[in-house]
Amino acid sequence: MPKPTNQEIVARWRDQPAPLLAVLHAFHERDGFLSSDALDGVSKGLKIPIAELYGTVTFYHHFSLQPSGPTLRVCTGNVCRLRGGLELLEALSPKGAKSMPCAGRCDEPVPVLSGSESLVGTSIDTLRAKPSPLPAPNPGGYAECIFAHIREPDRSTLAGYRRTGGYEALSKALREMTPAQVVGIITESKLAGRGGAGFPTGAKWKAVADAPGHPKSIVCNADEGEPGCFKDRAIMDHDPHTVLEGMVLAGYATGAERGFIYLRYEYPETFRTLERAIIEAQAGGLLGRGILDGGFNFEIHLRRGAGAYICGEEGSLLNSLEGKHPFPRNKPPFPVTHGFENLPTAVNNVETLASVPHILRQGATWYRGLGRNGHAGTKLISLSGDIRRPGNYEVPIGLPLKTLLFDWAGGPYSGRTIQAVTMAGLSGGFLAGDAMEVTLDEPSIRGKGSFLGAGGIIVFDDSRDMVRAAHDAMEFFADESCGKCFPCRIGTQRLTERLAGGAGPRDLSAWTEEVRDIGAAMRATSACGLGMAAPFVSDSLLQFFPEAVRFHVAARHTEKP
Amino acid sequence: MSNPLADMAKPDVIFCIGTNMTECHPVAATGLKKALARGAKLIVADPRRIKLAELANIYLPIRVGSDVALLLAMAHVIEREGLVDASFIKERTEGWDEFREHLKEFTPEWASKICEVPAKDIEEAGLYYGRGSPSAIYYTLGITEHICGVDNVQSLCNLALMTGNLGIEGAGINPMRGQNNIQGCGDCGAETLVYPGSVPITDKAARDKFAHAYQRPDLDLGEAMTKVTAFNECGKTLRAMLIDGENTVVSDPDRNHCEQALKSLDHLVVIDLFLTDTAKLAHLVLPATGWAETDGVVCNTERRVQRLRAAVPPPGEARPDWWIIAQIARRLGIPGFDFSSAAEVFNELCSLSPTYGGLDWDRVSRESLIWPVPTKDHPGTPILHVGSFANGRGKFRVLGYRDPAEVIDESFPVWLTTGRRLQSYHTRTQTGRSSGMDYLLSEESLEVNPADLAAWGLRDDDWVRLSSRRGSVEMKVRGTDRSPRGTVFTSFSFAEVPVNNLTGSGYDPTTHTAELKVCAVRIEFVAR
Amino acid sequence: MSATATERQQTMTLDGQEVTFAQGETLYEVARRHQIQVPTLCYDPRLEAFGGCRLCVVEVRGAKTPVASCTTRAAQGMVVSTATPAVEKLRQTLLEMVVSENREVAVNPLRGFASQELTTLVHRYGAQTGRFQGKHSGKSNSADLNPFILRDYDLCISCYRCVRVCAEQEGDYAISVMHRGFRTQITTEFNGNLKDSSCTFCGQCVQTCPTGALADKKALRGADLPGEIQKTRTICPYCGVGCSVDIMTKGDRMVGIQPAMDGPANQGALCVKGQFAFDFVQHDDRLKTPLLRQPDGSFKEIGWDEALDFAADGFRNALEKHGRRSVYGIASGRAPHEAAYSMQKFIRAGFGTHYVDNCSRA
Repeated sequence: MPKPTNQEIVARWRDQPAPLLAVLHAFHERDGFLSSDALDGVSKGLKIPIAELYGTVTFYHHFSLQPSGPTLRVCTGNVCRLRGGLELLEALSPKGAKSMPCAGRCDEPVPVLSGSESLVGTSIDTLRAKPSPLPAPNPGGYAECIFAHIREPDRSTLAGYRRTGGYEALSKALREMTPAQVVGIITESKLAGRGGAGFPTGAKWKAVADAPGHPKSIVCNADEGEPGCFKDRAIMDHDPHTVLEGMVLAGYATGAERGFIYLRYEYPETFRTLERAIIEAQAGGLLGRGILDGGFNFEIHLRRGAGAYICGEEGSLLNSLEGKHPFPRNKPPFPVTHGFENLPTAVNNVETLASVPHILRQGATWYRGLGRNGHAGTKLISLSGDIRRPGNYEVPIGLPLKTLLFDWAGGPYSGRTIQAVTMAGLSGGFLAGDAMEVTLDEPSIRGKGSFLGAGGIIVFDDSRDMVRAAHDAMEFFADESCGKCFPCRIGTQRLTERLAGGAGPRDLSAWTEEVRDIGAAMRATSACGLGMAAPFVSDSLLQFFPEAVRFHVAARHTEKP
Repeated sequence: MSNPLADMAKPDVIFCIGTNMTECHPVAATGLKKALARGAKLIVADPRRIKLAELANIYLPIRVGSDVALLLAMAHVIEREGLVDASFIKERTEGWDEFREHLKEFTPEWASKICEVPAKDIEEAGLYYGRGSPSAIYYTLGITEHICGVDNVQSLCNLALMTGNLGIEGAGINPMRGQNNIQGCGDCGAETLVYPGSVPITDKAARDKFAHAYQRPDLDLGEAMTKVTAFNECGKTLRAMLIDGENTVVSDPDRNHCEQALKSLDHLVVIDLFLTDTAKLAHLVLPATGWAETDGVVCNTERRVQRLRAAVPPPGEARPDWWIIAQIARRLGIPGFDFSSAAEVFNELCSLSPTYGGLDWDRVSRESLIWPVPTKDHPGTPILHVGSFANGRGKFRVLGYRDPAEVIDESFPVWLTTGRRLQSYHTRTQTGRSSGMDYLLSEESLEVNPADLAAWGLRDDDWVRLSSRRGSVEMKVRGTDRSPRGTVFTSFSFAEVPVNNLTGSGYDPTTHTAELKVCAVRIEFVAR
Repeated sequence: MSATATERQQTMTLDGQEVTFAQGETLYEVARRHQIQVPTLCYDPRLEAFGGCRLCVVEVRGAKTPVASCTTRAAQGMVVSTATPAVEKLRQTLLEMVVSENREVAVNPLRGFASQELTTLVHRYGAQTGRFQGKHSGKSNSADLNPFILRDYDLCISCYRCVRVCAEQEGDYAISVMHRGFRTQITTEFNGNLKDSSCTFCGQCVQTCPTGALADKKALRGADLPGEIQKTRTICPYCGVGCSVDIMTKGDRMVGIQPAMDGPANQGALCVKGQFAFDFVQHDDRLKTPLLRQPDGSFKEIGWDEALDFAADGFRNALEKHGRRSVYGIASGRAPHEAAYSMQKFIRAGFGTHYVDNCSRA
């Protein structure tokens, strides 16, 4: 097939919604980089000023502006570092390999991205392409929601999905329910944002439904960038139709007719799976105009990110979709009234949307009853690090952390003890010692000064240097800070420098005061969750590992001034 | 301008014709760009694909000098589609029925042949302008520097009148004035047709008022003479001339003619900052204080009257222009020149000008007001024609298209149009003496469409001789898509490239403005 | 946005006082209206509020964390405290963090209109310059040899005012934000020179820069001249827009131009000519004395008395020999009213004709 010309690529996408990322990827795939000619064509074709476009392109990790040949990207994320990621990077560096932050394969390290394929392995010899792991059957024997059918054969195909009730919820909703009734059930179920923010989904949908302005949009946030989180990948790889069905239902409930899936760059196989699922659903009359022969229309547009953690933040995500510089937006106004193209938009996480068809089929009471101790529903936990059985687990909300760690996942490797765990991927910082006596629900974890968030838990056993772990976490935030707000842009850098050693006062109390002051300013004044959360890492380090900190700062005395 | 600059960000539809605003009035253009960012629609008619054209929703690359045809056809579309403002027409205009009948034959298809742009684009431009609420017109010398400059302006007035786009916020007809105080110059009566306050010299009461104020009982009633006529009369009826700060031999058309005219005078006195090409022809050159050295008042394109303040002392013996003129007048025994300050001069102007009646030096130093300001407590008049026209009803003008004074033919097969560039101002007496400006633009070149360049066997930076019926110049060529096929462009800013050797094919019969925007030329390669 | 009194119909509590506000007003705007100096670095009243520097955070009763007052709209019944000890401490920390990323804070005010903003705040908050030491951000571009705009990004604090003023105010979109986080670098398309970008050298980026990172190269030539900077408000000498400017002088020397942020025609905007093409005024080519042409075509310097007599004699001769219709006057569209008025009066009062015109036909 001849390579498409610049004009053809631009023409292919120009009149589509959210064209920029798609156009850039098309050029990048054709040439292996984004030439100035290509950018010029995009600038003129999409009417984006060239300076703005240039800056935006440099923001993303995976776009290259120089011809660089096929690039290998090795995950050096916080889990893969514990599993030989840095060594693998070095081994592959003669082939021009570059590092990438956590690529969401922490249950099966180390992922290496090669073009549009991901390989896994801990050494050159073991690297091979492999589908992502299926979640193990629920070790606690609890009833599941999202994972209930995920292990069934052919679940990722339309036929397989339909075999166990797939699209029945949609059919029921379109034929028997008003949009308000759909919102009502979701509200009653107490389903809340599973991306970490925990905002009640029913309330969000009602706000979109009530907001003036058309067309409205449903945006599925599949930019799963939080280190130690890989649950959304599991859903999309093995049960893509449940996400699509959830989106159509969200569209019906809110009156939205267009949907977007914003998928992180590092999931190329997932992209193809979703693409296939969308085509199947369209062919099956489950997407597009006149869904299930009724009057409801809904399109889903799949867009691929380009390597930027901040694009998981909904304001940045919307800006990125719109082709703008992916800075977070000031709130209010919120996306429910001023979202994609400033029109009402529901931004929901993959896990949230995937819960929706199950809830509609089995009822709000059923869903609420899945939780423990008065908590409603389930939560997917991505467990990784120094633990025998890493993987995704669907836990009843309220399950004790230790039950998950020891009974479900087999505890630490032999001869080791668990020193600390992270919460919310990295964003919740560390819990250690008695603070690990929590149940997996926000009130309990917040009581210990952290939060559950998206549900990523990384385990560190007693062989790990926790200052180093904190440094690596903070370095991630520094690398991913967008640079819009001062406290985060400067704060993540300064904290990283201090945790690396070689910077900051030599006196322990002065050092500690600097770290605390920076953290306080970041928490109180940062413009989005990244900057607010990052100091959980440094503050929890100070709280749980004062001796390690003392030792770290003392080492500064032996440095050359 | 009928509307203030602040209104530029407010229209629904903006129609720019014959204005290269982003280069010639860059700060005003920022208002327009804000309107576009807000979603306003832009129509641009200009032979050259200027920056503004790139911002436009509809771009009409009309042939030089074909504006009237375009505007008639747009009016035709607006009338045909019923986009007229019937109550405005009924209450505030006259001559509609005749004009309406007149419009019938001027279809977009008819105009398309003259303007050399597709009829559907003309149609669409008419629809846009007609539907805009409000729609505003902006123009500059691309409209006036034609033999039909008055027709062009009146055609624009017709559009605004038929759609009621006058006297309201964000609408209007807005000529952008090119020099810092050219508006003020007219306000002061330094124009042959009017007294201070824009009162015509044919007005008997005004004649009597000024005859009395200036102690000149024999002051003419009427009897104007434009500068263009004056140059024809030099050495004949005219024998002495006083020129203040104008490098006329470089900026005016037909340089040869200008030089001969000035040389034939018995007495030429030039007041200026520099020894310009014009000053070099004078018998006496008098050094004036410049900007930043002079206290005074200026008026901008939106009729805003503002104070100039001196910040540094002048060089050597330089004196304010008013002082120099007053001193000459006193030595001639002309009464009323006992001014001792700029304030006294300005206050006398205010006392005689109805539009400045409410202003004085102190008020202008405190506040920035838009005239007319008839009384001391009047807040100024940012928008003209609100509710009614000063002169009664707005008149529709029935007019037709005329070819430019000179059209291309076998001997002179290429259209030349001239203009200005962002980086240099007029004849560069100022920008050429400001450090760094050369970094941006160090020489002039002829802008030619790349396809023409190839067809004529030329390459970038080749030297050519550009000849018209009046003269020739040599300059470099440069290929650019800004120029359409068959039309070339250059500015008159660089003394090395005296483009006005070529221009001057004709003048508007009413205003005597030269057709600087159109002339027919021939281009030949010269080896250098 | 400046709300008129009649639009202010809702009430809130600001630092203990009940105040009124209009729909849409931000907390920052309400505070400013009440003469409360909330600190900012990324704020320019002409631009859309950005919320980047976070210095303007205030406490709102019921909110978990302080909110940025520049982006938060006032709401009925809100209780806002603009300067609690906790907020002031956060501001001090933020300023100390900002200071730590730059080479220096105190810069020459000739660099630009807003160049002293950071310095002023550092003094106001007693921010210690020794804290939070670490890597500096921003790398100066010394390869761009344009004569107007110094790109001294070592002093950049990534407030994006330059980016935003270029896009929102000037509409040129010439400035890029390259990379992200601490590596953020303000630059142009393809990280090149301004001349090769869509920059028109209007200088607005220079004038809004709060640290002098973007600086007026021409003005800085006057850095070593003795004396204080004086500013004189006047109107730009170029086109008909009539932008208000301040001429900066040291002693008798003009050293630079700054736009008047409250200029009615320009609201702080200028173009390359108004901003940078001012030094013709004190150019050596200026005429300093009257010049009388000699028979050989050269000019001789003469005194005013002789010159004015010569001028008057010439007009008198014409009048006497050829009558009052033999004299013509041309006024300048570049000189002030007093010149134009005097010229027309000279002709009308002196000769009783209307033989006067100006250069508007060129």
